[in-house]
Amino acid sequence: MVGTPVLFIVIPLLAAFLIPLLGMLWKELVRIVPGLVLAYMLVLSVNLLNHVLIYGPIVEVIAGWRPPLGINLVFSAFSGFLVTLVVFMGLLIWVYSYRFKRNVDFEPAKKYFLLLMMLITGSVGIILTGDIFNMFVFIEITGISGYALTAFYTGRDSAEASFKYLMLGSIASTFLLLAIMIIYSQVGTLNMADIASKMHTIKPVYKIISFIFFITAIGIEAEIFPLNGWAPDAYTEAPGPVGAAFAGIVVKASVYAIVRYVYTIFDLSGAYDFLILIGLITLIMAETAAIRQERLKRMLAYSSIGQMGLVMVAFGMGTEEGVFAALFMILNHAIIKSLLFFSGSYLVYNSKHKYIKEVNGMSKYLPITSLLFALGAFAIVGLPPFAGFWSKLSMLTAAADSNMLFIIALVLIVSVVELVYYLRVVNRIYFFNKEEKTEPKKPTFNALIVMITLGALILVIGFYPDAITGILHKASADLMDKGQYIHDVLSLNK
Amino acid sequence: MNNTYFDLLDYMIYGTAILIILIGLYGALVKKSLIKIVIGLSVVDSGVNLLIVAIGYLKGGTAPIFSPGYLANPIKMVDPVPQALVLTAIVIGFGVTAVALALVIRLYRHHGTLNIDEIKDLKW
Repeated sequence: MVGTPVLFIVIPLLAAFLIPLLGMLWKELVRIVPGLVLAYMLVLSVNLLNHVLIYGPIVEVIAGWRPPLGINLVFSAFSGFLVTLVVFMGLLIWVYSYRFKRNVDFEPAKKYFLLLMMLITGSVGIILTGDIFNMFVFIEITGISGYALTAFYTGRDSAEASFKYLMLGSIASTFLLLAIMIIYSQVGTLNMADIASKMHTIKPVYKIISFIFFITAIGIEAEIFPLNGWAPDAYTEAPGPVGAAFAGIVVKASVYAIVRYVYTIFDLSGAYDFLILIGLITLIMAETAAIRQERLKRMLAYSSIGQMGLVMVAFGMGTEEGVFAALFMILNHAIIKSLLFFSGSYLVYNSKHKYIKEVNGMSKYLPITSLLFALGAFAIVGLPPFAGFWSKLSMLTAAADSNMLFIIALVLIVSVVELVYYLRVVNRIYFFNKEEKTEPKKPTFNALIVMITLGALILVIGFYPDAITGILHKASADLMDKGQYIHDVLSLNK
Repeated sequence: MNNTYFDLLDYMIYGTAILIILIGLYGALVKKSLIKIVIGLSVVDSGVNLLIVAIGYLKGGTAPIFSPGYLANPIKMVDPVPQALVLTAIVIGFGVTAVALALVIRLYRHHGTLNIDEIKDLKW
C-alpha cells in the first residue's frame, strides 16, 4: 500500500490553497506544483487500482466514525477506474496549459491553476465519496470552480455564459438538497450503502420524487437535455483547456453520480428505462443541433452532449455488457473529445468568432494539428481501426443482446449524422483554400506533446483494445454487484 | 386543543418553507434584473434550509447536547444532523451568491445594464 484514497482529496485541496502562497516565494511554482501533485495522484491511483483489482475494494473511514454514522470513501474497481481517468485527464490538461498565459500576468495563471485544482478535487470527491451529503458538497465545489473558470477571459462574453451556468447550477443544488432531505427524512441516514440497504422500506412516492429531483440536479452538470443550456456557451467562452476539463472531468464525475444513484441506491426498475429515454432524447437533440452549428467549439460542445446521451443509453440497458460499453465510451470520449478540443482550439485560435469556415486550408499551415484533429474526428464517429470503433461496437452488441433493436437503429443513424458534420470540418481543413487573413497560431511544444499522446492512445486502444478491456470488465462487474458494495461498506461496523 | 395547535404549527413550518422556495423560484425565473435573480436564488436557499431544519425538529425536543438532567432521555433531543447540514448549506449558498454578484458586476461593466433582455449576445 502506497497511500489511501483520502489523499486524492486532501492533497489537491491543500495544493490549491497553497498555490497563491507558493507564488509569493517563486512565481514559477504556481505552474510547477499542480503538475507535481497531479503526477503523484496519477501514480497513486494506478497503484491503488492495481491493488483493488486483485484484493477488492478499499473502504476508508474518515475521522474514526464508522459507517453508517461517518463519511467513508470507497475506492473500488469502478470508482478507481474513473478516478484514474479523471486524474490522467487533469495531468494532460496541466501539461497543455503549462505555458498558458505565460506572456500575460502572473495573476491569471495563479487563479487558473488554483481553480483547476479545485475542479479536480471536487470531481474526484464526487467519485470517491460514499455519503450523499458529502457528494452534494463536492458537486458544489466543482460547480463554483466551474463558474469561475468559465468566466476566466474578461474580454469575451464569458460572464454571461458563466451566469447562465451559475443560475442553473444554483437551482440544481436546491433540488439536490431537497432530494437528499427526502431520503434522509425517510431512512434517517446519509450513507449510500446504508440507504441502499434500507431502500425497500421507503414508500414509492417518496422514492420517485427524490429520484426525479436528483436526476434534475445532476442532469444539469451531466449535460442531459433539456438541462444543458449552459454547456455550449460555457464550452465556447471558456479557455480551450477548460472546455476539455468540462468534457473530460466534470461530466464524467456527474455521470458517475447518476449511475451510482440508479444502480446502487435506488431500486426503481423504471429508472433504467428512464435513463434510456433521456439518453435518446439528449442524443437526438444534441446531434441535430450540432449539425446546424457555425462555430467550431459549439459544434464540439453539442457533439459532447450527444456522446453523453449515448453513455446514458448504454447505462440504461442495465446489463453488464451495457455498463461495459458505457465505461468504454466514457474512456474514449474523454480521450478523443479532449484531443478535438485541444487541436480545434488551435485551428481557430486567432479568429474572432471561431467559425467553422475559418479552418479552411489549415492543413498547409498546421499539418500536425490538422492531422490529429482528423484522427480525433474519425475516431469519435467510430471508424475502424480507431478507439471509438470498439466502444460503438460493444454498445451495439450490448443492445443486440438485450433485444433493443431500436437503439441499434438510432445509434447507427446518429453515427451517420456525426460523420456528416465531422467530415465537413475535415473536408474544409484539407480541401479548401484559405481565404481569411488571420495568421494561424503554431501550437506550443507542450500542446503538441499532449495532442500526440492522445492521438497515440487512440491508435493503441484502436489496434489493441485488450489493453484496457480487462479493467473495464472488472469495473462493470463491480458496479453491477450492489450487494457486495453494501456489504463492503457496512461490514466495517463489525 | 393544545395538541391540534401544535399539529397546525408543524404543517405551517413546512408550508412556509415551501412558500419561501416558490417565492425565490419566482424571483429567479421571472424577474428581469440580474440583482433580483441573485436575490431570488438566495431566497430559495433560505427556504430549503428552513425545510431541512423543520424535518429534524422534534416536538418539545431539546438541544442535542448531553447536559446534566437530559442524560436520561436522549430520545427527546432534536436530530443534530439536519442542523449540521444546514450550516454547510448556508456556507455553500454564501459562496455561490458571492460568485454570482461578482459575475453581475462583470456583466454590468461589460454591457452597462442589469436587464437580462438586453444581455443576449449568446443564444440560449
